[in-house]
Amino acid sequence: MSTIIQAQQLSKSFGRHQVLHSLNFSIEAGEPIALIGPNGAGKTTLFSILCGFLKQDHGNIEIFGQKPGSEGLSGRVSALPQDAMLDPNFSIGTQLTFYGQLQGMNKATAVAETRRVLALVDLADYISQKATVLSHGMRKRVAIAQALLGQPELVLLDEPTAGLDPVNALQVRQIIANLTSEATFMISSHNIFELERLCGTVLYLEHGKLVQQRSVQQGAIGYLSLQLENADAALVLNVLRQLPGVNSVENAQKNEFAIHYDRELAPDLDISLIGVLRAQGWQYRSLTQGRTLEQQLFAVANG
Amino acid sequence: MSVTAFSLPKFCRNTWLITRFELFRLFGSPRGWFALAAFAVIWFLILRYPIFEASAALQQADTQAMLSRVFGMIGMYKLMAWPLPELIVYWLISLVLLPLAVVITSADQTSSDRSRGTLRFLTLRTSRDSIFFGRFLGQWLVQGLLIIISLVATLGMAAWRQHSLSLAALEAALIMGLNLFIVLAPFTALMALCSVLVRSSKLAVCLAIVGGGVLIGLISWAGWYFPDVLRLLQYMPGAQVPALLSNQGWSTFKEVTLPLVQTVVLLAVGRIALQGKSL
Repeated sequence: MSTIIQAQQLSKSFGRHQVLHSLNFSIEAGEPIALIGPNGAGKTTLFSILCGFLKQDHGNIEIFGQKPGSEGLSGRVSALPQDAMLDPNFSIGTQLTFYGQLQGMNKATAVAETRRVLALVDLADYISQKATVLSHGMRKRVAIAQALLGQPELVLLDEPTAGLDPVNALQVRQIIANLTSEATFMISSHNIFELERLCGTVLYLEHGKLVQQRSVQQGAIGYLSLQLENADAALVLNVLRQLPGVNSVENAQKNEFAIHYDRELAPDLDISLIGVLRAQGWQYRSLTQGRTLEQQLFAVANG
Repeated sequence: MSVTAFSLPKFCRNTWLITRFELFRLFGSPRGWFALAAFAVIWFLILRYPIFEASAALQQADTQAMLSRVFGMIGMYKLMAWPLPELIVYWLISLVLLPLAVVITSADQTSSDRSRGTLRFLTLRTSRDSIFFGRFLGQWLVQGLLIIISLVATLGMAAWRQHSLSLAALEAALIMGLNLFIVLAPFTALMALCSVLVRSSKLAVCLAIVGGGVLIGLISWAGWYFPDVLRLLQYMPGAQVPALLSNQGWSTFKEVTLPLVQTVVLLAVGRIALQGKSL
């Protein structure tokens, strides 16, 4: 695997407010990368620097060995910028074709490529329409389509499902999942559950600092996540903690339990657990290996 | 170590693509057609009333003699030497009105695209330089085309009146067209700069007018104390226009250096400003 993004001591301030604090990280090509953090954490600022929309105050950042915004990255790096809109005076087909030509395609290829990416987001019938007649969800999908023009090696998506209804959000997730073998995606979102399904690596930003960079799978070993129907939490905790090999049990949310156990002492804990559930007459909704991304991030962040 | 790749062929290709898209914006979109229709109506009114009526008056020998004396008193004694009365009036009107029109019509080179975020889609694919210079060239070429259309209409009106056109008239139209094209260049570059500095075309127009007014006021005020400072007024965009009116024929091209230098300087400042802007 090759390094596609390398950031060293990256800092950015707006006036007296420092938004990014000496970030150091590197990103390898491959599985999608999640950029997570609360509002104001600096996600969009980091995306804007990666896209070349903003310049950092200090530090260095390289994408494929080049400065963000370099002409050499044209066609290799694409992005869905947050809140960016197409020109309302031209059809989406005209504009996407123009973008394709700017990426180096000839007119015929750019037209074919425009049709292909609009079909990917299920908007092929809207090629002659202007962005102004489209709904918010459709505009978002068109903006995602422009990011897929050509064969970008790195696709940066800033809040790709923000403001979308569940059906459209699912469709966007499916598009990303289908294309992960062709490009490396970096996705920022507030929706941890969404990123958990899509991404292999997580960058967690908080107050402009990189709190964690970890593999989603890294925090899965030695954990079980159990979701029950209505249950007495105190009783459940008491019963589960007495199982052989269990180190700890946490009740992070209502009816949800994270069980940390020793895999050598209890290699078949999941099977034992189902037996306990049956014996106690507890109905369960799900039993999964590992912890949720939310549990992983906040267990470390809080601990 | 990072590398900043610059490719001249790619820069030229993308600059031309953006220039062409600006032409398409005028000739290929309903909004552009509306602007063209407005342009046609305005020029019809200018041709039909000021130019037609004035050129009819200019054919009177005594009127010509009187105007030659009047223009001569203000240094424009060669104005009446242009071959067609229609072209004389066209030349006077265009030199005054077109720079003002350009301040308004070319105010939105990058501003609304920046506030809308469309510029972000473009900068992912091409350099800021290509966008800046492509938009400027596009606007300038549009003005060139509109100058040609208005000149052809003026010549058509003259031909309809006298049933023929002399070679001298065609030559004069060519000289006027080229001169106007050069006169408009610094104004277009000024609006390219203003468009970078603010986020809407209205603000760009205000910045150009108020900024220009304030600058002239400051120079005039400083001129009370330091008279040499008043020389700076000779370097403002359009400062060569009175000299253009004092010349005739190919000698008008003695005045091209100032607008061309102004254009280069304004574009250089605008280019630096856009490079430093957050999108």
